Amino acid sequence: MSDATRVAAAASSKDPAVGLAAVASLRGLLESLEELQVGNARRQGWSWQQIADALRVSRQAVHKKYRRFGL
Amino acid sequence: MFERFTVPARLAVVGAQEQARRRGDDRIRTEHLLLALYAVPENLAVTVLDALGGGREVVERAIDARRTGPVGDAEALATLGIDLDEVRRQVEDAFGPGALESTRAAGRRGARSGGHIPFERAAKKALELALREALRLKHDYIGTEHVLLGLLHAEGTAGEILAECGLRLDATRVVVEEMVRQRRAG
Repeated sequence: MSDATRVAAAASSKDPAVGLAAVASLRGLLESLEELQVGNARRQGWSWQQIADALRVSRQAVHKKYRRFGL
Repeated sequence: MFERFTVPARLAVVGAQEQARRRGDDRIRTEHLLLALYAVPENLAVTVLDALGGGREVVERAIDARRTGPVGDAEALATLGIDLDEVRRQVEDAFGPGALESTRAAGRRGARSGGHIPFERAAKKALELALREALRLKHDYIGTEHVLLGLLHAEGTAGEILAECGLRLDATRVVVEEMVRQRRAG
């Protein structure tokens, strides 16, 4: 763990400002990771159904979200 | 108004945006302007600040102490035990350098954090008051020293912190006037 990580990890998670900011950052990271993984899966020939199953969401949900990316 | 700002004063105004961005703030506040003053090399405001007990370290500590919540994604995620640098390394191993930042999701976040950051009302007011302070001292330019006086004059965190450091508007005006006179004489 870096110094910054240790210092931040010591911060109280009871503080809403800390906790909510962490959730927001986590959501952002999640969006980026999902996008990378979906794109990779499509390039490897996965169907929307296969991707949806792996993500445990409906085919419509994943297709609606990513079709505009031209994947 | 900005055409009357000296180069160092302009650097401070531009630097305030950088300070806000670095701290993950969505508005440029008075404390960002104050922090930006310290980053401008050789300017009268910092000479005055140092002389009156408002040195950089004291002020930075005071600003950090007032901060609520983590700054930036790395720090926020670290509170959950997630090491963003490590995540980035893993992602880049799989998808190449800059993969995480190249996503559209990151681009949307970037539009927020990388784009123009507006001035908050009190910070804007501080710059207007900088002009007024310059007029009051009959100076025909707006320098960093007037920005400092504007910060002391305006409401906002910077003024509060400077007051805690013992800076008063009236006394600081006198010091600024004296230093400007010395600079002109010297």
